[in-house]
Amino acid sequence: MMRYRHRLWLGVFALLAGCVTVGEPPISDKGAVVALVDTARADGAAGKTDSAAAALERALRIEPQNPALWRELALLRLRQGEPQQAESLAAKSNTWAGSNKKLRAANWRLIAQARRERGDDAGARAALEKAEQER
Amino acid sequence: MTVGALFRGLKEYLTGGRLRLILLLLLLLLAAFTLYLDITIRAQFEGKRWALPARVYARPLELYPGAKLTPEQLAAELTLLRYHQVAAPEEPGSYRRAGEEFELLTRPFLFWDGTQNVLRLRVELDAGRVHKLRDHKTGAAVNLARLDPLLIGSIYPAHNEDRVLVRLKEVPQDIVNGLVAVEDRKFFSHHGVDPRGMARAAVTMLRGGAVQGGSTLTQQLVKNFYLSSDRTLRRKFTEILMALLLESHYGKEEILETYVNEIYLGQDGNRAVHGFGLASHFYFGQPLPRLTLAQSALLVALVKGPSHYDPRRFPQRALERRNLVLAELHRREFISPRQLAAARAEPLGVTTKPPSGASPYPAFLDLVHRQLRRDYDEDDLRSEGLQIFTTLDPQAQRAAEHALTRRLAELERARAMPAHTLEGSVVVTSAQHGEVQAVVGGRDTLFEGFNRALDAQRPIGSLIKPAVYLAALERPDSYTLATPLDDSRLVWKERGIKDWEPNNYDMEFHGRVALHTALANSYNVATARLGLELGVPQVMETVQRLGVEREFPTYASSLLGTSELAPIEVAQMYQTLASGGFRSPLRAIREILTVDGKPLQRYPLAVEQAVEPAPAYLLTTALQGVVREGTGQGLRQYVAPAVGVAGKTGTTGDLRDSWFAGYTGDRLAVVWVGADDNRPVQLTGSTGALVVWGDMMAQLDPEPLALPPPETIERVWIDPKTGRRAAKDCQGAVELPFIRGSAPKENAPCATAAPVRSWFKGLFGE
Repeated sequence: MMRYRHRLWLGVFALLAGCVTVGEPPISDKGAVVALVDTARADGAAGKTDSAAAALERALRIEPQNPALWRELALLRLRQGEPQQAESLAAKSNTWAGSNKKLRAANWRLIAQARRERGDDAGARAALEKAEQER
Repeated sequence: MTVGALFRGLKEYLTGGRLRLILLLLLLLLAAFTLYLDITIRAQFEGKRWALPARVYARPLELYPGAKLTPEQLAAELTLLRYHQVAAPEEPGSYRRAGEEFELLTRPFLFWDGTQNVLRLRVELDAGRVHKLRDHKTGAAVNLARLDPLLIGSIYPAHNEDRVLVRLKEVPQDIVNGLVAVEDRKFFSHHGVDPRGMARAAVTMLRGGAVQGGSTLTQQLVKNFYLSSDRTLRRKFTEILMALLLESHYGKEEILETYVNEIYLGQDGNRAVHGFGLASHFYFGQPLPRLTLAQSALLVALVKGPSHYDPRRFPQRALERRNLVLAELHRREFISPRQLAAARAEPLGVTTKPPSGASPYPAFLDLVHRQLRRDYDEDDLRSEGLQIFTTLDPQAQRAAEHALTRRLAELERARAMPAHTLEGSVVVTSAQHGEVQAVVGGRDTLFEGFNRALDAQRPIGSLIKPAVYLAALERPDSYTLATPLDDSRLVWKERGIKDWEPNNYDMEFHGRVALHTALANSYNVATARLGLELGVPQVMETVQRLGVEREFPTYASSLLGTSELAPIEVAQMYQTLASGGFRSPLRAIREILTVDGKPLQRYPLAVEQAVEPAPAYLLTTALQGVVREGTGQGLRQYVAPAVGVAGKTGTTGDLRDSWFAGYTGDRLAVVWVGADDNRPVQLTGSTGALVVWGDMMAQLDPEPLALPPPETIERVWIDPKTGRRAAKDCQGAVELPFIRGSAPKENAPCATAAPVRSWFKGLFGE
């Protein structure tokens, strides 16, 4: 009986674990980076964008080749009203994105938005086309 | 006329209104003077009281599971930070080491993002990395922790006054008691002056004794604060008046706190040590609250004359004066007879050498100072007590210093050059963020003068070539890594300029060579011809796009690097290549806090795409070829080929300058070697700077350089003889990256047969 209960719990855990990985993969396998990104997101949500940027830059010093971190910083710069920086950072994220088409498409959409904010509608459309191609 | 008549005359003259008028005038004058003093005093006391030097810190060492760190590196870092190695760490700033395991207590520190309190950590290292990081008490895993950062220098106020501000509650009671007992017994009851003390002093003076004493702490403060040191009656009068005024406005505690921070307590070269806070570090290497009774008494003893009683120069004199202070403390019943006996038995306890006020990294500090001056007034830098957090990595700095000093001496010996013929400089940055991690300005790394890394502009020679090849690779319709270049005799005629006829280093021509081979072997003639095809202005535009702010002349000879740059400018140019075509201004500063720890300014990471990813990728591949099979081959003695270093050698006319610029997955470094008087040093980039670069990187365990190829890149096998498409197993075939659609269309002769062979291979299951 005990044993069965164990198996039941194991099954539940396996399901939960599956859900977590399906939902959103962790941004890094390093706890330090995950913690810093959490801090950055919380700071960003609280309007403390400077602190958020500092935390992300700290994470990037640990993992400079992690495209998801470059994207986080790009998103933050967009929120800070720096579309030019946002665009460059998203492009930088793409250089490390490898075969991650989903991430690349998301970065192109971010670039499109950044270009729109700078009044470059043609550029924005071109970026959106790129995003489509990544599908 | 008698004396009496004279008096009468005077009396008549002064009768009535006149006397009162004069008295009134005198009183008014006195009142005006007092008012003036009052304003002066209050302005100074309430406004900024001291000019505080800016403090400059290195990057804090980050600890986290997975961090690259050897036990030796951690031990070295802890030594730099003056952590004490003990059997059982109990105090912040102490640690225990057992092989690869460290137990340490961090010091509390106020960072940009808040205070990190004392952490008690257990760090387990394994295979060159942090394996586990845990809270020593609870055993709970810790994700991330920082050590307190190393203080690497200060930017001092005009008179080189240095101090560490302390609050009164941090001052040991023994010091307060000592000051009262020895300097001013009535301090807590008088109103600024002590008439009886003054009378005593006057009597001593009249009897022919020394001119001294009688001043209250308040008067001493006033003297230090506002007045010159000449001893006139008028000054004494002003001093008394000001002391009375000060006491009428401020409480005893405020006055005492100001006193303990103001008083002059020592000298270190041209740096003046002010206040008990700094004196504690200066004499004992300890923060003030941790001083013992005997140490506190010694500092009180110094008030009377820091140079006369200098415990390092005149230990006997200092000891006697300290014991006198102890005796006074006992006489005034501040300490018990047992305390007195114990403290008297203690040695002076001063450190043999004061912690130097001069920076151990003056060349790096110089860069920090220059970047600060863009945003801050020199006066503010020297007085506002700013806390400046920089990007200096002490490990990289040490590796760079070692490599440069060691290798230059070795080169001189090996080549029978007189010692100190050679000079050199190094700049190291983080490849992806453009943070400057190390600057070495010359062989004498402690020299505060000429900073070759920032100021020695030298012809860059072949270091310019990547810009020529990049300009070509940005036109994939015309140029690829496989494009044959013409390395035959070239005479360039331009109106108004002497004919230009470049030569190769080996004084030979190599005929048709593939573009990547011409760069790997640094062929001058092929490069010059390529640059002329592209247009010199176009190439120079590329140089600027990579981050060089200086404008180069558009003579043909500029293509071979006759223009001059300082190593830091070269680093900026190569930074853009190292980060895949994204330009980031080199930064030496991360954050600035105010004196009380409030965030003031951040220097954010900024990137700007300067080159498309695909040509940047191609160029990096070609620069890896330089190291794999070209002029940079010598690096293999220092750095494993698997690291895939991308780099370029540079040599200038008559072998005057030897350069190497290169990058790995995590760092970029530029090394220059030459002579200050610009005489030929008989070194090429490969025999000089490369050796320093390799030695340094070997110490830093570089990350492999493995850029993911951009989507538009495909790999194609090429027959080097014809520059056409080959098959994998064609003899001598090389696989090169191409921007899709740009690879040669025609097949080399061997390519047509090849697929058959591989088909057979597949058939027989080879």
